[in-house]
Amino acid sequence: MKVMVCLKQVPHQDARLDVNADGTWIQDGNIKFEINSYDTYALEEALKIKDAGEADVVVVSIGPDRVTQALRTALGMGADRAIHVKDDDADLSDTLGCAKILAAIAKEENPDIVFTGFMSDDGNFSAVAPMLAELLDLPSATGVLSVEVGDSLKCERELEGGALEVVELPKPCLAAIQTGANQVRYASLKGIMQAKKKPVDVKTMADLGVSDAGAGAVKAKIEKVYVPPKGDSAEILSGSTDEIVGQLVTKIKELGVL
Amino acid sequence: MASVLVVTEVNNGAIRESSLELVSFARKVAESSGREVKSLVIGSGVDGIAGEFAGKGGGETLVVDSADAANYNVDVYKKAILAGVEAAGADLVLISNTPQGWDVAPRIAAALDCAFVSDCTNVEASGSSTTFTRRVFNGKLDAQLSVEGTAVASVQPGATEPFAGSADGSTTALDADVSGARAKFVEIKQSESTGIDLTKADVVVSGGRGVGDPDKFAEVIQPLADALGGAMGASRPVVDAGWLPHAHQVGSSGQVVTPKLYVAAGISGAIQHLVGMKGSNFIVAINKDADAPIFEIADVGVVADLFEIVPALTEAANAAKG
Ligand SMILES: Cc1cc2nc3c(=O)[nH]c(=O)nc-3n(C[C@H](O)[C@H](O)[C@H](O)COP(=O)(O)OP(=O)(O)OC[C@H]3O[C@@H](n4cnc5c(N)ncnc54)[C@H](O)[C@@H]3O)c2cc1C
Ligand SMILES: Nc1ncnc2c1ncn2[C@@H]1O[C@H](COP(=O)(O)O)[C@@H](O)[C@H]1O
Repeated sequence: MKVMVCLKQVPHQDARLDVNADGTWIQDGNIKFEINSYDTYALEEALKIKDAGEADVVVVSIGPDRVTQALRTALGMGADRAIHVKDDDADLSDTLGCAKILAAIAKEENPDIVFTGFMSDDGNFSAVAPMLAELLDLPSATGVLSVEVGDSLKCERELEGGALEVVELPKPCLAAIQTGANQVRYASLKGIMQAKKKPVDVKTMADLGVSDAGAGAVKAKIEKVYVPPKGDSAEILSGSTDEIVGQLVTKIKELGVL
Repeated sequence: MASVLVVTEVNNGAIRESSLELVSFARKVAESSGREVKSLVIGSGVDGIAGEFAGKGGGETLVVDSADAANYNVDVYKKAILAGVEAAGADLVLISNTPQGWDVAPRIAAALDCAFVSDCTNVEASGSSTTFTRRVFNGKLDAQLSVEGTAVASVQPGATEPFAGSADGSTTALDADVSGARAKFVEIKQSESTGIDLTKADVVVSGGRGVGDPDKFAEVIQPLADALGGAMGASRPVVDAGWLPHAHQVGSSGQVVTPKLYVAAGISGAIQHLVGMKGSNFIVAINKDADAPIFEIADVGVVADLFEIVPALTEAANAAKG
């Protein structure tokens, strides 16, 4: 069985976010990056299948040079192979462009299961997974908290208020994994050593025969990003810790809970 | 005339309120861009509720009524929506960003090879250009996007008021072929009660990823909850990491609480957390980042290290009780 996992590298969750000079995204020159949190759970689901039997796990990422680090980490955790789409223009794609590039890879790889994260921590789009499924004409499920692999993939989808929807997808299929689905492993030292010998294929859009992605194919254009306006925001308390705590106690007493 | 299509959501035999929020946006953009408002209702035995919806602002309401659509199914809904888009002549499609919406909406955009914008909080249109506002980076920044031509957008529930007027509307049965689904609906599992009912607490003191360490919940957050006679809550990453059981989670996929006092420590204020606590009577936020979105809905904010403020507040609260 072959499992393809789509990994995006995103700014570290504690990175300082400053808007870039043309006001259309963040300055990404001097910050740390990490594997998108949702995607770590997606990779873990794939590695669990590998642990349970036989599976070839291939991780795929579109992004600049720095993405090598994310792919190496994934290989260190236990993935078998990596494909890095390294192409300046591919990086400028919108979600549909990304989905088209990933679809081209999936067509070459023919996986039985595609796992993605449910959402990217930077753009928060939640778009690429269903788009990829549509382009590949695969059944899919999003917000998945557990999978059971048999002839089909039985998925539990998270709904609101704690309810779950159970849906069965015949393979090949795609599942977009939600955070909390499992306990994500760390790359062991041995794993990291072994990862150095594992192959990373580097490809461009041209190699994949994709022309309708990249900057020229963007359909939803980000005009600007900005710090949200504050509105009627909180009264910010100031002073020493004691003074702040004194003001808080006064307010809490007024509420009648003390 | 081109149209804006409202894809409604049927849940437990009724159309969700978020579908009427879509009508508010649809009517606004219809007016500014010379489009007509049309709606789509998908389900089984939904003629009656579709008729009602048509009269509540839905306009010409297309109905895909099929036994196959009795439960949400991604393959069935995709076919029904694509048939609706074609029949309506729609070049703008609005869907609520709910578990159904986020599962199917991006597929519609991929099938139409058009723009997709998710989880919008505002939509404006003029002629063939449409501008969308949405949050990025889990609420830390806003983004404005523009689309020329056809677009599918998912809209954040609660982003606007539901349309409350009435208007003439009609229903039209749409004979869409929705057969051949591959995904198979099995069942809905309701959540099991987990023991901790945060909804009954007068005070909820919640810690987020900023607490940084599972032991610190017992050492720092629980003592403040105890001092204020309340319960301890948490944001999702705390639960995902296994630092606390799911029963403590506040938010769209946890509990929705409305205590007299809610304290958020080390929580940034992503929308999925906010919907679980914004109805609280009084909100205190403690976060070292002055730009954290939690301060937009808090009554009182403290921009500081929670490890300085929370223990001192616990001590003062205990002292105040005498
Ligand atoms: C479908 C879906 C459902 C979801 N459901 C929920 C839900 O039910 N509940 C929920 O909470 N989330 C939910 N989420 C996740 C949500 O999007 C956010 O990822 C999450 O709320 C972030 O949690 P956080 O604020 O603790 O972490 P972060 O966003 O990482 O914020 C941590 C904060 O701590 C601050 N901080 C760090 N150290 C300190 C310190 N020493 N002192 C003071 N402040 C400090 C930082 O400045 C930062 O603002 C859901 C997401 C999706 C997609
Ligand atoms: N540049 C990328 N490279 C590889 N996978 C991606 C990329 N962008 C998005 N994905 C996948 O699509 C999922 C959803 O992302 P998004 O639709 O951007 O919120 C992510 O969790 C990844 O699994």
